[in-house]
This record gives sequence, structure tokens and C-alpha cells, in this order.
Amino acid sequence: MNPELIEKVTKLIVEKLQTQNGTGSSHSHASAEPKTAVKFWNHTSAASVSDFQAAAEPSGLAEKTAGNELITFGSYSERRQADSKKRIVKEQTKDIVHPSSGIENPYDPEGLKELISKTPARIGIGRAGLRPKTETWLKFRFDHAAAVDAVYGTVNEELLNRLDLFKVSTMVSDKEVYIRRPDYGRKLSEEAKQMISEKCPKEPAVQIIISDGLSSSAVEENVEDVYLSLQQSLKSLGIDTGIPFYIEKGRVAVMDDVGELLQPKVIVLLIGERPGLVSAESLSAYLCYMPRKGTIEADRMVISNIHKGGIPPVEAGAYIGTVVQKILKYEASGVSLVQKES
Amino acid sequence: MSAIKKYEPQQEEILSAGIDIGTSTTKLVISKFSLMNMAGGAHMPRIEIIDKKVLYRSPIFRTPLLSATTIDMKAVDELVKKEYQSAGVETKDIQTGAVIITGETATKQNAQEMVHHLSDQAGDFLVAAAGPDLEGIIAAKGSGAYEYSKKTGKTIANIDIGGGTANVAVFKSGKLCGTCTLHIGGRLIEFSGNQIKSISSPIKALFRQWGDPFSGMREGDSRNRQEIKSLTGFMAAVIARMLNRELLPADQPLLLGHEPDWQEAIDAIMFSGGISECLYHYEAGTPATAHYDDIGEILAASLRESKELAQWQWIHPDETVRATVLGAGTQTTEISGATIHVEASDLPIRNLPVFQVPFRHDVKDGLKRMHESVQQALEIYDSQRDGQNFALYITELPYLGFRDVQELAAAILDAIRIKPNPEQPLVLVLESDHAKVLGQTIKVQKPNQRIICIDQIKVEHGDYIDIGHLLQTNVVPVVIKTLTFHH
Repeated sequence: MNPELIEKVTKLIVEKLQTQNGTGSSHSHASAEPKTAVKFWNHTSAASVSDFQAAAEPSGLAEKTAGNELITFGSYSERRQADSKKRIVKEQTKDIVHPSSGIENPYDPEGLKELISKTPARIGIGRAGLRPKTETWLKFRFDHAAAVDAVYGTVNEELLNRLDLFKVSTMVSDKEVYIRRPDYGRKLSEEAKQMISEKCPKEPAVQIIISDGLSSSAVEENVEDVYLSLQQSLKSLGIDTGIPFYIEKGRVAVMDDVGELLQPKVIVLLIGERPGLVSAESLSAYLCYMPRKGTIEADRMVISNIHKGGIPPVEAGAYIGTVVQKILKYEASGVSLVQKES
Repeated sequence: MSAIKKYEPQQEEILSAGIDIGTSTTKLVISKFSLMNMAGGAHMPRIEIIDKKVLYRSPIFRTPLLSATTIDMKAVDELVKKEYQSAGVETKDIQTGAVIITGETATKQNAQEMVHHLSDQAGDFLVAAAGPDLEGIIAAKGSGAYEYSKKTGKTIANIDIGGGTANVAVFKSGKLCGTCTLHIGGRLIEFSGNQIKSISSPIKALFRQWGDPFSGMREGDSRNRQEIKSLTGFMAAVIARMLNRELLPADQPLLLGHEPDWQEAIDAIMFSGGISECLYHYEAGTPATAHYDDIGEILAASLRESKELAQWQWIHPDETVRATVLGAGTQTTEISGATIHVEASDLPIRNLPVFQVPFRHDVKDGLKRMHESVQQALEIYDSQRDGQNFALYITELPYLGFRDVQELAAAILDAIRIKPNPEQPLVLVLESDHAKVLGQTIKVQKPNQRIICIDQIKVEHGDYIDIGHLLQTNVVPVVIKTLTFHH
């Protein structure tokens, strides 16, 4: 065939396809505002920005993008550490301060704003037909992914060094085991026991321990401020704190093992909470008076929801100090404390 | 049972008093606030006022006067004491509340002395309040107008007309839009028998402006003069023009203070105060219906007949003549955050002007301006350097890390060194939940510093704040006296 003709026909077809795609995508994405969607991907890694823009194009490209995304996904936590940490924080605060509604022409815009300001839940997001809008859906997927990453991530060594914490582990070898065998997460490994016995003085008034639990991001984002503020609080109350350390892949009841080893009066365990869709970075402080093997759950108490959008970490640290003081005074925690108090 | 107890939140009850000394009448209410920890067991406590119950309403008394220009303080004292007895409360039981002096009474020679005296005598933490704008706001909260705007999202003007003044406050969706006060009230012309007993000076000024036959009206004339009806009709029209923010130059003699300062169009109006009682008769059969021998009834009739005022929907008030006293007794107290740092011996602390230090969500920026801010606060509130204390209200804080808090504490301590009296407690009010850690940090950095650091309170630059005793639930009652507001 005439090569010129082939070229001409090909050109025609390509042009036609392009215009079709163009109008097609502008129809289906008319209200989706891919620009806003891009901003979510922005946080995961700077590299995927262009990929994502391509995702609005025909499906062949989208598949490729998904592939790329999978590859970048693995190095997500480190990358995020390096360059996107600040932006995530900013974005979250912005979301909290200025919630925007996805409802077009609301009947009572001020009333809607008021309602949205009352909850971090996804309300007033509008809809496209029966489904949520693309932006909402992407945000949901993003938050879900962040939650998954929080579970599978690890806490940066640099943070532990900065806080002068040594690291031990539980009987759990990897995260899959951690999830399947909660009982392993409640027991210290033999090496851990030895190391703790060597490094920590026995019978302090308060033993502070930190563990990633189900959210390494919770620890990375919040533990430093809670910990320093708690230390200051305990110090100004004149309470002695022993030598704190970090337990990798721990569960709440791992404090019982530590209690047996070091015999402290009170243990404060700062541990990452199971991530949710509002925040994957929520930290809890579990407190217990003389936790030992066989301690019942009713004797533990918790201050939860410590994160940038919840209880400010610095304020939480200051508050935990006064709770410790109360536990020491009544020599009880949890339900027993409530009983003794009243 | 123990399992239930764990989740039983901390709670307590406090008593609040409201006392309103108005142009014609004085009244008092005692109410009980229930405070409760509304946070779940696993959260930091969050104490809220969950219920307000009015325990006692006094009869409506005539405001005791010694002369036309002085309040009979002794008689007011007696009256309050007696009413406390009737209510079955003692002065020491009253933990919060407000004394407000309203209308023409606020212009009496000893008004200020009276209100401060009473706030000292009638309770440990009773706040002295006065000022026409504040009156309007408190009345709107007591009448139900504020609640109505919050519930419906509408813009409502509450018009509280008593003996001496009409105090208007406009609320939209629970937010204050503006205020205005007029010389319109029942007692501006008083009668005695068939004669006019007195005509107040703003009305005289108005009559002079109108000329004959008004300018010829004198004390001793017959009370049945046509001109009086013309006057009350004019008053109704002025109210309508004020609501539309279209006051004419001829209306000026009746304006007290500033022009109406809201921007919103008004959807509905509500009347409270003594004149509202003439309209709605809520207190029928009680001593409140006593005959006042003034233009109150005529004014009420003019309001009812006014075509101009009929353009708005009239909402019935929850309270008529008692709106202000209920507002003062039940709507002035707020509760601080539950994690705060205060020294109980320094409380209560009264009448502190508030100086706002906005951080604009940037720690460095805010810290840089700390010195300048304290300097400015001193210039404004303590220009003579005689030790008038003030509260620093720190707002728009960004997310604060531990190191930021250290820097903030150091910057504040450094900045307040220019205060003339370093012994004075340092009073900090924070918008966000950081009071405990900041207070603690300041204490660590300077152990002998007296400090009151509270949070989760919304005030405005230029407000006055009163902070009460530390309660059992570890919160403090706070009364904010809004004297200015912004759009």
C-alpha cells in the first residue's frame, strides 16, 4: 500500500481517537476535578504526580500507572519521611480548619458548614449519581492506604536515637506473624529480656515504654512530643522514671512482661493505635499500676486519640503526668482506681 | 456496680446568681448548673455545662432610689439578702453569675460603686457588668432570641425595652451581628395622678427640635395630651428605621452611643423587657403587673399598631421583663478546658482586659511579636504603669511540638519582664488545648512565677474576662464581658 496513504489514515484515526478521548474524559470527569485529586497523590511521592495526571487518560495508560504506583509503594514510608512529611501535616491541619463541602448549591450553606465542622467523618461530601464523587473516593482510598501503611511500616531509627531509646523486640519475627499471633506480641523475646535487665534499673516509680503497636506512623508523628512533655511533667512532680526503651511489634499486655522484669510501680506504654480512616497516626497511652503476669484488663487505663487532629501530643504528655501522680497516690489504676477514688 | 462506675463521668453542680438593677425594676434569679465530664473513659476530660435549671425567681421590685440621681445601695443590699433567704441559698454558695446595672440606672452617680459593691457582697465570684451593648446581648440571650437564631439560622433582632432604654442586639445563626441602643422606654415620661410628673432630658431635646406644641410641654401638664401618642408612634417608627439601619438626622436625639452596626437584613424581631410584658402579659397576676404610671402601656400599644414594625415577623419571647436577669444569671458563665494550670490561691481574678496575640499559624512569627505585643498591652491598659494586670489571649497557634512550647514559654517570660509589677500573676488564655503543658513549662522555667493558664475559651481583643475559683472537676468558670465585636 501507499505509505503516504497509510500515514494519512493513521493520522486521521489517531486524531479522531484523541478528540473522542478528550471529549469523553471531559464528560465523565466534568465534576470530578482531577486537579484536586492530584493533591492526594502528591503526598505519597513526588514522582507519581505526572503518572496520576496520566490516569485520567485512556485505560491502557492507567494500568501502567497502577504498575508504577505499586513500585513506588514499597519505598513509600522512607520517601514520605524524607520529603512529604511536612506537607501531610499541613494538609491535615488545613482539612480540619477549613472543611469544604462537596454539595453543590446547598440549601443552607452555613448550617452545612456548622455540621461538617462538628465531625471528622465524611459528611456533606455530595454524590455523583448513587456513588461518592471521585475526589471523595480518592481521599477515602488514600486514607485507607495510609492506614495499611501505618500497620506495615517501621519506626525510624533516627527518632529512637534522638530520644535515646534502645530497641528490643517481642517474640514476633515479622508483621504477618504479628497480625496472626497477638499472643507473641505480648511476650518479650529472650534477647529482649536480657537486654532490659542489663540496661534498666529495677523498681523505678514509673517505667516509660514505647511501642509501634499497630501504627508506626503514630509513633513517628507524635511520640516525641508526648514523651518529652511527659518527662517534663513527671520531673516537675518529682517522680522518678527509670530508663525508657522501645519495643518493636508489641501489644499492650507486653507491659506485664516488663513489669515482671523491672518491678516498677507504674508503667506508661505509648503505643500506636489501630489506624482508622480519620487518622492513621493516633497514639494511645496505656497506664497500669504494678502490671504483672495475670494482670486483668480492667486494671489498665488508656488515654487515646493523641494526634495532631485529636488531643495535642504536648498537652497529653502534661496530662498523663497528673494521671500517673494519681495512680501512685491511690496505688491503683483502671477500675480499681475509680473505686478507691470514690 | 463497679463496672458501671468506671464510666460514670465526673460531675458537679454549681449555683449561679443573676441580679439586674434596671431603670424601673430590680430582680434576681438563682439557677443551678450541672457540669459533667462529656468525654469517654479513654479520653482526656471535657467538662461541659449540660443543664441549667432556674431554682428561684424573685418578684419584680421597684429599683430603690435615694434621689433621682442616686441608687439606695443599702436597700438593694437588703433586698438581695432577703431574696437569698427566700431562695434558701447563702452568699457563699453562689459560685458564679453576674450583676448587671441597666438602662438609666447605669447613669446614676453611684452606679459603678453599686455594681462593684454588690458583686463583692453577693457572691464569691459575681461579675460586675454594665454597658448598653452588653445589656442588649444579655437580654437577647435571656429572651430566647439568641437560641432562636441558632436553631433557625435566621437573623433576629432582640429589642429589649425597659424603663429607660431600648437595647437591641442582632444575632444570626447564634453569632452576634451588632447592637444599638436608643433612648426609648416606659419611664421617659412619668405621670402622677392626671399630670405629667417628669419628662426625661432626651425627650425634652426631641420636643425642642419638634417645636410647638411639643416644645411647650411641661411637668404638670395633663397626661392626656395627644402629643404623647405622637411621641410613642414616633418611637415605634424610629425602632423600625434603626432595624433597617436608616436612622434620620431627626432621630438622633434618641440614639445612645453608636449607630446600628450590623450588615445583615433582619428576618424576625423579638421584644423583651418591661414593655414586652405590656405586650404579652406573661407575668399576669404576679407583682410584675403593678401599675407604673408612665408611658409604658402607650408605647406598647404604639408598637403593636406600628405599620413599619409589622413588616417583620414577630417572634414571641421566652421571657419578657426577666430576659436580662435570666441572661445575666444563666448565659454569662463559660467553662474552661479541663486540663489547665492555675494556682487556686490567685483566684478569682476579676475584670482583666484581654490583649490578643494572634500567631497566624506560625510559631516564629508569633514569637517575634511577643515583646511588641506585651509592650502594646501595657501602653493600652497600664499606661501609667500602676500595675493594672491584663490577660494575654494567644490565638491561631499552629501545631505545637514540645520544643515550640519551650520557646513560647521562654518568650512570654522574657516579654513580661517589662511589666511594672513582676509579682503579679501571669494570666494566659489560649484558644487551643495547650494550657496545661504551657503552664507547666513556664513553671519549670521560672518556678516562682505565679501563673493562671487556661484554654478553650473564645474571647475577643478588648473584652474583659473574669476567672472564678477552681471547681472540683478541675475547671474554672469564666465570664467574658464582650464590649466590642468585629465583623
